[in-house]
Amino acid sequence: MNGIPLRFGPLMSDGYTIVRSGLRWLRETGQFCRAGQPIAYCNISLEPSSVRVGRNHAVADELELQVVFAPRVSGRLTIHPEMTRGGYLSIRGVDAWKPDTVLGLIEPDQPVDESDPGRLRLLVVAGRRMTALADVHSGLLPGWNGRTRGWWCEDGETPATLLSLGLCDATGVILGEQCAFLEMFEAASDAMQFVFIPDHPVAPCAPVLLDQLSRTPAQFEAIAEDLRRFLGNSTVPPTADDWMFAGALLAVLRNTPLKDNYNIISSTGTQRLGPADAVLLSLSAEPQSILRHRTLGYHIHVMRHHQAAAGPAIQAWLTSAFEPVKRSIDAIRRDYEKLIDTLARTTGGRILVLNRMSTSGYEDISSYMAFDAPMSDTLSNIAAKELNLMLHDIAETRELAIIDVDALAAELGAGQHLPDGIHQSGQMQVVLRQQILQAVSDMRVTAPDVRAAGRDH
Amino acid sequence: MLYEFKMPVIVPQMSGATIECLYSARDDALRLGSKLMDLSVDLSSAFAQECPPVSFYRLVLREAVYLRQIDVQPGQHCALGERIALFSTDPTEPIDQDATRQVRCTIAGIIHHDGMWTGSHS
Repeated sequence: MNGIPLRFGPLMSDGYTIVRSGLRWLRETGQFCRAGQPIAYCNISLEPSSVRVGRNHAVADELELQVVFAPRVSGRLTIHPEMTRGGYLSIRGVDAWKPDTVLGLIEPDQPVDESDPGRLRLLVVAGRRMTALADVHSGLLPGWNGRTRGWWCEDGETPATLLSLGLCDATGVILGEQCAFLEMFEAASDAMQFVFIPDHPVAPCAPVLLDQLSRTPAQFEAIAEDLRRFLGNSTVPPTADDWMFAGALLAVLRNTPLKDNYNIISSTGTQRLGPADAVLLSLSAEPQSILRHRTLGYHIHVMRHHQAAAGPAIQAWLTSAFEPVKRSIDAIRRDYEKLIDTLARTTGGRILVLNRMSTSGYEDISSYMAFDAPMSDTLSNIAAKELNLMLHDIAETRELAIIDVDALAAELGAGQHLPDGIHQSGQMQVVLRQQILQAVSDMRVTAPDVRAAGRDH
Repeated sequence: MLYEFKMPVIVPQMSGATIECLYSARDDALRLGSKLMDLSVDLSSAFAQECPPVSFYRLVLREAVYLRQIDVQPGQHCALGERIALFSTDPTEPIDQDATRQVRCTIAGIIHHDGMWTGSHS
C-alpha cells in the first residue's frame, strides 16, 4: 500500500518526559478522513526528567491530560491496531512519547502540498477536575471538570486563547459533540487555545464575573466562613447533596477564570500564556433577577435546574442569606460596560457575546394590548430584542463582537435549528464556530501586537 | 354558546404542559385581552439532557366570555388535548352540552416570574 506513514511528531515539556497510554481510536481502517479530523487519542502524563524538577509540572493541577491526533491531509486511513494496548494500558502511561512513532497510514485523495504531510496535527486537551474524586476513565476529557481546555500550535507559534463562559448556547459550539474541542480543532488551522468553564453551579453572568475580578482572598474566606457557619448551625441537617453543592460553589467562587494564566506543552517545549485574549459570553446568562448576599454583597445566579441539585440546607441558605435584585436592561448594560472596561484595563482581553433568539414561530400575538408596559418585563421575545439592541448600543462605544445567533437562527430556520431558543442543531453550531473564529481573527487584525499569535507571559 | 380550552400544541415536541398560575376563577366575566393562565413547557422528556429546555407561556383571551369551569391547579401537569376550562357567552347557559369550539386565545412566550409554581415549589 502506498500510504503516507502518520507519525506523532514532537511534543515536549521542559524538565519532564512525556509518557503516554496506548491509543484509543476515533476512526477505523478503511474509513475516509478529512484533513484535521481527529482519528485517535491517548492519555499522557509528565514524569520528572531529574529529581530536581519535582512533580509540580506545567499542568500539575489538571489531572486529565490527553493528546488527540489528526492527519494534515485527507484520505483513506489504515490504522496500526497494535497501538491499542487495551485495558488499563490504554489509560495509564506505559510508553515514552517518541516523535517517530507511526500510528497508521493515509492514502491521500488529492495531490499533497503539505511540506510534511505525515506529521500528525496534535490537539492537547486538559481538564481540571471539580473534585479529585471525579476519577473517570472513559473517553475524552472524562468526569466532572471545573475547567477544560484544548490547544494546538505549530513549531514556534503561540496560541491565542478564547475563554468560553457561556451557557448551553456556548457549550456545544465550543466543546463540540464529544466535549473535547474536536470540531474547533478541525475548523481552525491557526494556533489557538480554547478554555471552557461550565455554568454549574454558578452561571457566568456579568455581576458574578465582576465580583470574581475584584474579590480578595479575605473576601473569599468570609464567603466560605459564612457558608460553613450556616451549614454548621442549620436547623435543616445538611445532606450529601448540600455538602457537594457547597464544595462546588466554593470551588467556583475561589477562581477567577478571566485572570487565569495558562501553561501549555508543545512541539518546542513548555510555554506560558497570559489571560484569555477573547472571552465568549452568552447574553442568555444575564438574568432579570439575581441573588445578592444580604451582608457580604456578592452575587450568584444559580439556574433553576442546578438549584435542584442542592439539598435542603443549601436551599434554605439561598433563601435566607440572599435577596433577589431586579436588573433592568440599563443595569445589565452597565454591568457589561464595566466588565468590558475592567477586562480591557486589567488583562487586555476582549469580549464576544452570543446574542439571544428574539422571535418564535410558536407565538401568535395579534394584539399587544393585553400586556402591560414595559412589555420587556413580561414578554421574553421583546426582552430579547431589547437586550440584543442594547449590545449594539454598547458596541458603538466599546470593543464588543456580537455573534448574531438571532439572525442566524432566522436564516437557517429556528424551528429546525434552535427549537427552544438556546440549544442549536449541529449545522447551526458549525456556522457559529465559523463566526466565532472569524471574530477572533478580526481581533488579531485590529490588535496585531497582542493577538497575532496570542500573548506570551 | 360553549367554548372550551384544551391543552394545545405550543411547541411541536411537547407532550403536555404544567399550570404555573391562574388569573381567573369560575364564573368570572372575562374581557377580550384577559389573562387566563401561565403555563410551562418542559422538553426534557423529548430532548434528554441535564439542561432542561423549559419555556413559559401566557394564555390571553381574544374574545369576551364567562369562565364556567376550570379543572386545574398550579403545579398540575396536563396532557396535550386535555380539557382545562369551559366558557360560555351567556353566564347562565347550561354547561352540560358539547362545546362548540376552542376558545380563541393568544399564546405568548413570557419570562419566569415570582408568581409561578416553578421556582416556588420546585
